[in-house]
Amino acid sequence: MVTRRTYLALFALAALWLGPGLTAAAAIEAGQARTFIQSLGDEAITTLTRSELTANAREAKFRRLLRQGFAIEGIAKFVLGRYWRTITTDQRRRYLNAFEELIVKTYAARFEQYNGDSFRVTGERPDGEAGRLVESEINQSSGPPLKVQWRVREGSEGLKIVDILVEGVSLAVTQRSEFAAVVQRHGGSVDALIEELESKVKALK
Amino acid sequence: MFLGLLLRRVLSALQAGRPLVAAGLALVMAACATPPAADDEAARAAYKEANDPLEPLNRTIFEINRGLDKLIFRPVAELYRNALPDGLRDGVRNAVNNLDTPNILVNDLLQAEWRRSSESARRFTVNSLAGAGGLVDLMAMEPGEDGEPVPFHNEDFGQTLAVWGAGEGPYLVLPIFGPSNVRDAFGRVGDLFLDPLNHVIPSDVRTEFGLSRMLANGIDSRSRVIESLDDIERDSIDLYAAIRSLYRQYRRNEIVNGEIQTIPAPDISINFDDDLSRERRAAVLQ
Repeated sequence: MVTRRTYLALFALAALWLGPGLTAAAAIEAGQARTFIQSLGDEAITTLTRSELTANAREAKFRRLLRQGFAIEGIAKFVLGRYWRTITTDQRRRYLNAFEELIVKTYAARFEQYNGDSFRVTGERPDGEAGRLVESEINQSSGPPLKVQWRVREGSEGLKIVDILVEGVSLAVTQRSEFAAVVQRHGGSVDALIEELESKVKALK
Repeated sequence: MFLGLLLRRVLSALQAGRPLVAAGLALVMAACATPPAADDEAARAAYKEANDPLEPLNRTIFEINRGLDKLIFRPVAELYRNALPDGLRDGVRNAVNNLDTPNILVNDLLQAEWRRSSESARRFTVNSLAGAGGLVDLMAMEPGEDGEPVPFHNEDFGQTLAVWGAGEGPYLVLPIFGPSNVRDAFGRVGDLFLDPLNHVIPSDVRTEFGLSRMLANGIDSRSRVIESLDDIERDSIDLYAAIRSLYRQYRRNEIVNGEIQTIPAPDISINFDDDLSRERRAAVLQ
């Protein structure tokens, strides 16, 4: 009995000693993710909405913010799903480029038509084991406010967004099923998907 | 009701001619997607995830719906939005929501959501009596008992079936009504029987009443998503698959009443430290 109790005590002591260090590495401090999203949003609105920007300059600024704020490669990998493992490094390179290009082309131009919808962070809560879910609202000129949630994780380069949920609908999950459908329609060819992404990028130019 | 009538006609037609049933079955079989080969793991997983064995038939109906939308629904919705001032359109929305509320209450009760049940009961009485017969949603405007306004919430029998444990079943695209699944299609029919209004409205005007209600709801709903749907269409590389996923996630969110934490987070890795990543980072720095 004595030995068992000693072991327990030692174990508890070890947990106390190691515990805080371990959790500090895994969890994001409360309030940190919220500040991160609010400042990223503010920065996007101040730098990207200026009307004197050329399309190219806007895209460059958007790309910088995208890489700074999002785990873009992790998202790209998730979106491709099981097919990621089946393709070569060269295909991955082309896919990552096309994926990022498409996001830049699709969303950078939206900031040009920004009409003053206000963006407000409303809350934050734990999400999964180590992440945070930041809640925000976009007040539209017409209709009820849009509920947008940001899934934030901590990586080696600090906080990154891994997914955006609009009214509970995940952009990453939607895109993943879309990409899977395109690959399937082309008999399992990831090359066909990459080509579709590239031609979509060209069409948006 | 319109749908009920349609269903009854189809059923009696089916009973009248067995060969027709056989022909219909053959058509459905022909419309089935062939599952991928057993050794193609990635393709099989994607097939399972899509849960859409009728995909070829669904895609055809989807394209027909899209054509009808381009030709009729979208232009009508645009006309409606341009012709009526915001306030009047909000009145239409509130009236349609108010007419839906008795059925929402029934489904709140069937789901044992007592708090939401009492919200629906109060909403229907307050808005019908004091809110100009439902044109104004007083509950969503004025603070309730706990000082917060009570926004409108939706429920239907498809959601109730889900709360009772029914799976969604294969994805379906219904003519005109659009995205659905086996459970929600049953839910639509169930709502026709459950809706207290359908038992109160005199039978000689029931069809007209149901049709106008459906039309008002459809046009107003469509008019509120004109730009959003245009964006989705422009951004997607496979609109059909995008809508299928959006519908599934939207319904899942409705079923859990917006409680996001009951939906597991996708497994997106954040660290991506391989050669490719370093190479891409170096390219940006140049």
